[in-house]
Amino acid sequence: MKAFTKSTVFALGAAVLFAAPIQAQTRTIAIVGGEIHTLTGPPIAVGTVVIEDGRITAVGASVRAPAGATIIDAAGLQVYPGMFDAFSQIGLGEVSAVDVTMDVTEGGDFNPHLAAATAIHPSSEHIPVTRANGVTHALAAPGAARGGIGGQATAIHLDGWTIEEMLIEQTVGLVMSFPSIQTRRCSTFGCFGPTGPFSEAEESYEDALDKVRGWFDDARRFQQAAQAGSTRRDLKMEAMVRVLDGEVPLLVLADQARDIRNAVGFAEEQDVRIVIVSGRDAWKEAEFLAEHDVPVLLRATQNVPANRDDPYHTTFSGPAKLHEAGVRFAMTGWASSGPNPPSRTLPYEAANAVAFGLPEEEAIKAITRYPAEILGLGDELGTIEAGKLANLIVTDGSPLQIRTQMLHVIINGNEVSLDNKHKELWEKYRARR
Amino acid sequence: MFNTRSPAQLMSTWICALSVAWVGTFPAAEVAAQDGLPSHYAIENARLVRLTSPTIESGTIVVQNGIITAIGDNVQTPPGAWVIDGTGLTVYPGLIDGLSTLGMSAEDAPAPREGGPFGGGPPGRRGGGPDGPPPSQGPEDRPATFAWINAADRLELDDDEFRPWRAAGFTSALTAPSNGFFSGNAAIINLAGERPSDLVVTTSVAQRLNLNGGPGHRGYPSSQPGVFAYIKQYFSDAAHYRNANRLYNADPSGRERPTYDRALEGIMPVLGGTVPLLFPASTTTEMRRAMRISEQIGATPIIYGAHSAYRMVDELSSSRLLVSLDWPAAPEDGDPEADTSLDVLRHRLLAPTAPARLHESGVRFAFYSDGLEPKDVIGAARKAVEAGLPHDEAVEALSLGVARIFGVDDRLGALQEGFIANLVVADGDLLAEDTEVKMVFVDGQRFEIEEGDEDPKDEEEEEEEEDEEEAGPTDAELRELIGPSYRGPYRDDRVTVIQNATILTVTGGTIENGSILIRDGKIAEVGTDVSVPRGAHVIDATGRYVMPGIIDAHSHIAGGFNEGSVQVSSMTGVKDNLNPDDINIYRALAGGVTTINILHGSANPIGGKNAVIKLRWGSNGEALLLEGAPEGIKFALGENPKRGNEFPATRMGVMDIIRQAFIEAQQYQADWDDYNANGDDDDIPPRMDLEMEALTEILRGERLVHAHSYRQDEILQLIRLAEEFGFRIATFQHVLEGYKVAKEIAEHGAGASTFSDWWAYKMEAYDAIPYNAAIMVEKGVTVSINSDSNEEMRHLNEEAAKTMKWGGLSETEALSLITINPARQLGVDGSVGSIEVGKDADLVIYDRHPLDNFAVPQQTFVDGKLYFDIDADRERQRAIDAEKEALEGETERRIATDDQGEEGLDR
Repeated sequence: MKAFTKSTVFALGAAVLFAAPIQAQTRTIAIVGGEIHTLTGPPIAVGTVVIEDGRITAVGASVRAPAGATIIDAAGLQVYPGMFDAFSQIGLGEVSAVDVTMDVTEGGDFNPHLAAATAIHPSSEHIPVTRANGVTHALAAPGAARGGIGGQATAIHLDGWTIEEMLIEQTVGLVMSFPSIQTRRCSTFGCFGPTGPFSEAEESYEDALDKVRGWFDDARRFQQAAQAGSTRRDLKMEAMVRVLDGEVPLLVLADQARDIRNAVGFAEEQDVRIVIVSGRDAWKEAEFLAEHDVPVLLRATQNVPANRDDPYHTTFSGPAKLHEAGVRFAMTGWASSGPNPPSRTLPYEAANAVAFGLPEEEAIKAITRYPAEILGLGDELGTIEAGKLANLIVTDGSPLQIRTQMLHVIINGNEVSLDNKHKELWEKYRARR
Repeated sequence: MFNTRSPAQLMSTWICALSVAWVGTFPAAEVAAQDGLPSHYAIENARLVRLTSPTIESGTIVVQNGIITAIGDNVQTPPGAWVIDGTGLTVYPGLIDGLSTLGMSAEDAPAPREGGPFGGGPPGRRGGGPDGPPPSQGPEDRPATFAWINAADRLELDDDEFRPWRAAGFTSALTAPSNGFFSGNAAIINLAGERPSDLVVTTSVAQRLNLNGGPGHRGYPSSQPGVFAYIKQYFSDAAHYRNANRLYNADPSGRERPTYDRALEGIMPVLGGTVPLLFPASTTTEMRRAMRISEQIGATPIIYGAHSAYRMVDELSSSRLLVSLDWPAAPEDGDPEADTSLDVLRHRLLAPTAPARLHESGVRFAFYSDGLEPKDVIGAARKAVEAGLPHDEAVEALSLGVARIFGVDDRLGALQEGFIANLVVADGDLLAEDTEVKMVFVDGQRFEIEEGDEDPKDEEEEEEEEDEEEAGPTDAELRELIGPSYRGPYRDDRVTVIQNATILTVTGGTIENGSILIRDGKIAEVGTDVSVPRGAHVIDATGRYVMPGIIDAHSHIAGGFNEGSVQVSSMTGVKDNLNPDDINIYRALAGGVTTINILHGSANPIGGKNAVIKLRWGSNGEALLLEGAPEGIKFALGENPKRGNEFPATRMGVMDIIRQAFIEAQQYQADWDDYNANGDDDDIPPRMDLEMEALTEILRGERLVHAHSYRQDEILQLIRLAEEFGFRIATFQHVLEGYKVAKEIAEHGAGASTFSDWWAYKMEAYDAIPYNAAIMVEKGVTVSINSDSNEEMRHLNEEAAKTMKWGGLSETEALSLITINPARQLGVDGSVGSIEVGKDADLVIYDRHPLDNFAVPQQTFVDGKLYFDIDADRERQRAIDAEKEALEGETERRIATDDQGEEGLDR
């Protein structure tokens, strides 16, 4: 993990300063007097969190602020782990309708060696806008062609002058879009026309899957050759070997129930780790997912049900179903048909699940602790514990409630500015007479 | 087999050959009379199903010179007749296909279309293409209209086409070209003859309408409401043309001659009601629309399709219907996990009951094959019999019924003396599965049916089908499992009292521990001391919150569309596209929404007309409309309307199109004003132009403009343009940079209907901020938060709450954004938008404060009727799930197949 080099803040104009990462005046911060939601046990009603050099060093009711620490008075306030949008395109795109501002999906269908980290734009306006609402870190995921492997998803802090300062983990997983059996003809204009024959759709699916199998077979042979001493370089194969070795999981986009089952079956066949991403029908496959112990990075709740006859609340009540079935899952802003871009409003996606039966604490964990655990970052992030990276927020209420204000946001041990493009424009135009 | 005996004196070589054929095999499938030889027949001892008179169990029918000359149980076979022993045979009137393209050329009966639903070209709104004709720019181009064509003049005689039909018992058909919107005049033809002209029984019996333009059609109209607008303009033009010609011909001297227009000439008989219009419609919504539009244009419709007639027989008493025999069915090689909706499952079972229901109600109907193979038609008719249609009625619907529909029941469709000798002779009940058609007579000509005339199914296929049939319950048994409709209110009480609630009136503060008395759909009392009339339905809302039903000022559910083929589509309207079956209506009710403004999309600078509806789930299209809501229209500025390569490609062009349109509208108005003030009876009036009519309504302040907009510059430009023409913009929609020109919007008096927090999805949304609503409120603009989304509309209360976080609005201000403010913007605040005595009882009960993110609507009322209830919904869901399971057998894992098609119209 990168530490900020201390440097002086030059006299920059305020308009530039607002969006810039805050330079640490001191590396020791104490959040004093707040109710601390550690998410490892019951909240500490009144306690202190000490942060030194980017990490939490002490948490507790009787912890005292070290001398010289910057004190954040949290009396009457709430302290939570910073929120984690565990599947997003933040930093990879600016204006979705303007192609040239988007660095999300590379051409071709087999790009396991490409890493989001190499295209993240640290001065994207999305970053300060998003963190101002308490989302302190995110997974930036490349897109993938249907049936393809798109690249490596990168976990980032939503603060830092450069990607190196933002970086949490370059390769958290390999993004893959699982082939789907589709009987309707689809184009960029949407699906229309009558459904085609299922047998043909199934054949195309088998073909697509065979292609994917081919990549894995190649990678396995590459792995064997390497183990036997070959020094031949192949960036794609090297990336695949990390999956075969179990070092990183496949992050598999799959929505339909059948796709989810097929994807899990494929991962088991290949003996690789899998995380289901999006998982629109995961609620229907809750038992299956629990049985196979496959975690899910769930798409946004703010979506309409997939089928006319589905319960109207399917997308809201799905998380509660997964929870009851014992599925490990995180909630994301992915594929939200609500706010665009969705990372800022991640807590409200979770709130909809609370309204339909998910315990509030579980909902909060599903956007803090669980995504960190699912993505192998559980030792670094997700709870308020000594030793973890200091990404946390101080609020005047539950972060799931819109009316709650995010008062302090600490990322990588630094309190960051909550100013952003939106706030600036607000202040500017409000003042117009 | 059957035997024939021929009078010995007529033996000739020809006859010898024939006799051989009847006992053995004869190479030709058809036997026709030859010149010089008698061409009359007598079928003796046959069962004669006459239809217009009772069936004769054993009698004789005589056919002479193409005519039925005698029929009865005591008829003398005339000398010289070929005698056919009809023992064991039944003679029926020849079957008539109620609608076909038989004999039409490939040009007139095009192959199935590729591409989008309304045009033949590839999807794309401006069509064209290097090889095709230029896209239609409006109704004046008479797009895909061939009303002057006569099927009878374009017949192509290909006996290979007719033979399988005759083998299936068909001797006649209604045929018409099917290319284009108005594809031409239908003819009744017989299915055999020497020359095309021999086939024609009668011509110009109907004009065929299609709702897609077919191959080659590009441009306007490109949407269903566009087609309806075109139809209306076309008929209006025809009426004008007739009038203009009448006036001109009465006094041509010194006057400009009305331009000859063959398309208008061709539709005249339909306009006058003498020739009916074949109007395609199958769902209830389509059928109601077909009847309404026919009435508006003065045409007499014959609805073809009509599968949903079983749901609305009461409304069809004066209709004429052609029921398609291509019954809805599960796809043969379908996805085993497809989640077929209950509506579709029910419809597959119930569509074949439509004929029975129509018959019971005395509605005139007949069948048509609708693309079925000839050999499958009888089987399809049998399904209607299995579903309750009396056997003889099914025969009639394939013969006399068709003749009646088209007014040729004085010559075709029955075994009656004097009728055209079109017969079908079968070895049993024509509708029975094993019955074989032995011969048919067409115009008195006999055709023997042989193996190979119809394409027999291979045996394997038949076995498979039998297996399937034996496997499960019959359709009739499954129909017994169909439950009641799950549309409509859960409760409809004349008097309801909601007690002990926290009442968020929006306009009159918050009442703790209050009650609301609802009587006859209106709010009768509100307060802490409300009477409870005897018999009232009392709801204890202790701990709960009541607020006015949410109003979404920008939606595309239940009828939104884009007519993006032209820059001004003000002739089109959502009211011609309402879809009361859209499940999003119910989902929105579950989100507390009770009123929505359905808008045209944003493809063009001046879009179509809107519809403000109440979410009266289960009501028909027209009944959804909010009574008294002012009419409106959609405009669109910025990136969406300029995203083509042609004009407009810039915001300059967008504004120019709007300005030019209003200048044209002013001239149009002036022409009418002049005519109305100074015109004489013999002056030709100006042409009524639906596109211009809507614009003049705007100029007169009678139509509200809802202008899709993003950037501050385009907002200001439209304000100034409106002021230039003396009208006011009712609302700016989206208006994401409204905060930059809030002062000007307020001064102009426009409302602003915006998103809570969408931004950066396109360039013009890059300066969008979630504080937008709050700033505009502060500057005195009437602001609402809209959804423009079938999803976001389900939690507009949350979207409103965002204005408290981003901009610091109060609770009441936030709630106003989704209740009274959109009501004011739409001009319906007199009846909805707040909890006040006298207003409509459109209410939502939440379990928590609606601005709390964990709040869930418990009950939603529209007009005092309970349209959503969270407990009743659970029951409804259980019932739906159980019925689907019952109808489909084993529950399988299902995948989604619904089309989420209404997304993406806008934004």
